[in-house]
Amino acid sequence: MIEEFVESLKRFESYKGQIEHVEVIPASTACYGKLEEPLPKTIEDYLSRKKIQLYSHQATAINRLRQGRNVIIATPTASGKTLAFNIPVFEVMSTDQFATALYIYPTKALTNDQLQVLRSLEKETGIRAVPNVYDGDTPSSQRSSIREKSRIILSNPYGLHQYLPWHYKWNSFLENLKFIVIDEAHVYRGVFGSNMALLMRRLLRICEHYGSDPQFILSSATIANPQEHSEKLTGREFEVISDDGSARGRKFFVFWNPPFIDIDRTIRRSAHQETRELLVLNVSKRFQTLCFTVSRQMAELISRWTREDLTQKSPKLVGAVAAYRAGYLPEERREIESKFKTKGLIGVVSTNALELGIDIGSMDSVIISGYPGTFISTWQQAGRAGRTTADSLATLVAFQNPLDQYFMKYPKDFFGRPHEQAIIDLNNQYIDLGHVMCASAELPVTSKDEKYFSNLDSSLAALKSQNLVRETTRGYVYSGLSRPVETVKLDNISDRIVKVVCSGKVLETLDLTKAYDEAFEGAVLLHQGDTYIVTELDLATQIAKVKQEDVDYYTEPLKTIDISVIKKYEEKNESVNFGLGELEVTESYYQYLIKKYDEVIGRQPLNLSPLSFVTVGMWFTITKEIESEIEGQNLDFEGGLHAVEHAMIAMAPLYAMCDRWDIGGVSTPIHPDTGQPTIFIYDGFEGGIGISEVLYYAIEQLFTATLRLIENCECSEGCPSCIYSPKCGNENSPLDKKAAIIILEKLLNTMRKDSNRPKQQDKSSTHKKE
Amino acid sequence: MSVQRKRLLKRASESLGRRIGNGREYSVISEQDEPHHMHGGRIQETWVYQEEYSNAMKLKSKLVQQFKGKALEDVIPGKIISNNQGACYCIEAECDTHIKNTSLRKSREVILSDLKLLSGVGPARERKLKQQGYQSIRDLTKHPIWRESAQEFLSRVDLKDVSSLQSWFNSRLPKSHPLAHYLAGFCRSEDFAIIDIETMGLFGRPIILLGIAKSRASGLGISQFLLRDISDEAGALWELVSHLDGNSAFITYNGRAFDIPYIQERLAYYGIRSSLNNPHFDALHFARRAWRSRLDNCRLETVEKYFGVQREIDIPSTLIPEFYESYLKSRNVGPLVAIVEHNRQDLITLANIFSKLYDEWNI
Repeated sequence: MIEEFVESLKRFESYKGQIEHVEVIPASTACYGKLEEPLPKTIEDYLSRKKIQLYSHQATAINRLRQGRNVIIATPTASGKTLAFNIPVFEVMSTDQFATALYIYPTKALTNDQLQVLRSLEKETGIRAVPNVYDGDTPSSQRSSIREKSRIILSNPYGLHQYLPWHYKWNSFLENLKFIVIDEAHVYRGVFGSNMALLMRRLLRICEHYGSDPQFILSSATIANPQEHSEKLTGREFEVISDDGSARGRKFFVFWNPPFIDIDRTIRRSAHQETRELLVLNVSKRFQTLCFTVSRQMAELISRWTREDLTQKSPKLVGAVAAYRAGYLPEERREIESKFKTKGLIGVVSTNALELGIDIGSMDSVIISGYPGTFISTWQQAGRAGRTTADSLATLVAFQNPLDQYFMKYPKDFFGRPHEQAIIDLNNQYIDLGHVMCASAELPVTSKDEKYFSNLDSSLAALKSQNLVRETTRGYVYSGLSRPVETVKLDNISDRIVKVVCSGKVLETLDLTKAYDEAFEGAVLLHQGDTYIVTELDLATQIAKVKQEDVDYYTEPLKTIDISVIKKYEEKNESVNFGLGELEVTESYYQYLIKKYDEVIGRQPLNLSPLSFVTVGMWFTITKEIESEIEGQNLDFEGGLHAVEHAMIAMAPLYAMCDRWDIGGVSTPIHPDTGQPTIFIYDGFEGGIGISEVLYYAIEQLFTATLRLIENCECSEGCPSCIYSPKCGNENSPLDKKAAIIILEKLLNTMRKDSNRPKQQDKSSTHKKE
Repeated sequence: MSVQRKRLLKRASESLGRRIGNGREYSVISEQDEPHHMHGGRIQETWVYQEEYSNAMKLKSKLVQQFKGKALEDVIPGKIISNNQGACYCIEAECDTHIKNTSLRKSREVILSDLKLLSGVGPARERKLKQQGYQSIRDLTKHPIWRESAQEFLSRVDLKDVSSLQSWFNSRLPKSHPLAHYLAGFCRSEDFAIIDIETMGLFGRPIILLGIAKSRASGLGISQFLLRDISDEAGALWELVSHLDGNSAFITYNGRAFDIPYIQERLAYYGIRSSLNNPHFDALHFARRAWRSRLDNCRLETVEKYFGVQREIDIPSTLIPEFYESYLKSRNVGPLVAIVEHNRQDLITLANIFSKLYDEWNI
């Protein structure tokens, strides 16, 4: 079926040239494994009732866990990871009547989904585990009973961060804690990952206090460094299980490029319209299809357009297509999930909300509308298609940006590439300090805690100097003026939530930055394919009022990003001017576009108070001489600046141990605070998170590495390996690789000349004594 | 550590210090402003009027001036006591306030005459039952349907098991119900323990003063356990626990939500095992029911003013952390005078409120 479909697409005259590549990933047969010891009878019976034979990786995981090892299972989507760790947990539940287990998921939606899995396992095996979710949505009337009775508790890192100071209420759960399960462990990378790693140390410190020493079970998408990642995340030694023993049908991975629509072959057809067309084709063939889009709005629009199309072509299928995204109310989401599972829905258009393991079964086909930014995500999304025996289809629809186009041009490069590393930094002083402070409010911190926190002495001294902790006979005790867990955030997602209200009822919720994008006054908000006009966005009450109105257009805000230097920490004024300090990053929303099928049909002014945050960043200026030299060679100076910024951000994780998504950058041919062409690189976290500071101190190495990266890259005009950024706000344009090389060479030359000259005085604006 | 890492650490800690300082848990508002609920902000947001704030700051500098260079013992008479968890500074006083209580007979009568305490009996059914001659729960022990649950309730009443009666009440009545107050008649006066703590904030920070008042023949015996510095906290907590036993019945103002869980949290913080599941009369709930319609709010200070009590020295509770912080930084004991006095007054007012409530119920 799938193969015929792909062949027919290839043959179809009007699709000529749109299939850039078809990669056929061969089928694999099941490889079963054997347990070293038999399972308890109830579990054994359950498996045979369900006709489940354990795959090799599942058996190995169970064997290792029974030996008391910590295990990370890093096999593809739908390979049965959940069962592999639920079996040993339930085994222990059946042999130790007090044993408890904590399951940590990155999202509430996942927690609720897995609760059902655990409840049914409890029912099937008759092993009493009383699984329950404990998170921000848990009614306070149920909390104490869950803490006391549930043996498996499912939660998320944000909740855990809030609950740790209340450990005494959890004492019986903690005393008996045998397992900590971290599902989707690859999500915990970059600053979020470093925060999670320290949160785990706080948790383990409290476990030690209550006399327990839980075993870890991690499950993860395929990443380049599962061993290192799991060990950094938890501080324990791990056994990696990555040989997938599950059976899989063939997969056809199609690279789909929208056709040119002009004679000069410069403009391609809209990728969104192309996606709609592909989805209609897939659904008409009755392939159950999951379509991933890069934004919430696109998920809504593509599902709406698809339904419009189907109204003409096959009206019976109109009701079989729906949108799915974060922000929907939980019951709405559950309804879509269950309809999809029972095949009541054939097509679902979703944001990455369905990328993680929500159980919706396996699809025949997945459409990925636009490269999602990482290989990890791309393969996770593609992995949603695929059944044990039948063929499946994954289609990547390219956007017109250089990054997507690069993969269309060099598909082999895509399939030959290793997955990204999951990076965690245990030496980030901002993050470390924040968590040591949180820990000091949980139990007094003493020198015994050095095994959990590196550089503990200096961290404590720094906290003491700010009166955040006090030294006592019992250790260091937190004594600041507000709650530490309110100040220390695990990621940079805004915790200001806007409610969208339609005639007195809450339609959905979104965080403040999303509300700026989608719920400004005049915006068309899409919800389950229906259109609503926003009549008011009240920032004080955080309520957006909407009225339902059927319109055929949608809206898109335009914004500018401005940076201003508020306070200089340090400065080096030699031939190249470098600075480090506090920056205010301001996003001004000034106008919105009214669009219809990707066409702009109108513009309206937008009156919104700008969104701004203060962070720490570094900057450097480029001299007029370099600018004129580049222009003299007929190269694009702005493209060069932009390319240098991208490539530096790409190399930054090498020095600052972060994820590139943790950093922001702006390059400008003239900046009011420096009066010169300037590149800024800043921490994407309110108050700064210690990345730019490390980069500032390592600037010469960073320049050298960046230059090497660009120079040695085999591409001629730039590619994802050097100057293309997966998160560029300007569609990777303009970019000029040659100009970038000249800028970096000149900068390095002048720096080297400077360092050969007799040392000038360091114009650091902090005290010289240090 | 390299110079650069040192600089980084310094900036990181300054940034943290700033953000923790900005996160202070109250706002100063002008008299015209209606205290409004914060949207999406922190869970517990409190406020203090501009005038109160500036008066408190004036008081603080006056006390700092007055007690410059003085030792704690000379300013606040008391003694250092030690126990197996540490030490603290103990201040003892007596005053002639009495905790009024109803007699056991009266409270038993009032409670048993409310048939609605039994599950399944609503106001209409109660009227019907009373018409049929079932005047009290005791009578219902002969009723074919409510016999069992009436017997169960009566056995708790006969055992004078206040804790189990409280949980029974909690499932049938609002926490503010006068009958829940009448339950106090089941306690011996000497078992009452009025408890009020002063802290460095809303949870997760040290308790700096624990006050307990007990009923004596001559009036109230007040003991306050003060931290000379944070090292004293475990000792002070333990001292409070030593003043309690299984029969102690707590009287607090918002203690169900604040004081008692706070003390439990701090005990657990130092790894001290102790459960505080005693009978507990939280007067805030009763006060709200009794006086809410007559007062702007039911803060202890507001209720107290309504009864005409004027404090000579006082500071709003929300500013206590700042007063203590200033003592810790300067070691000037002036601010402690205000804290100790504030706590002592709170204990006395609490005894008065508890007594006055009986006049309100009209049972």
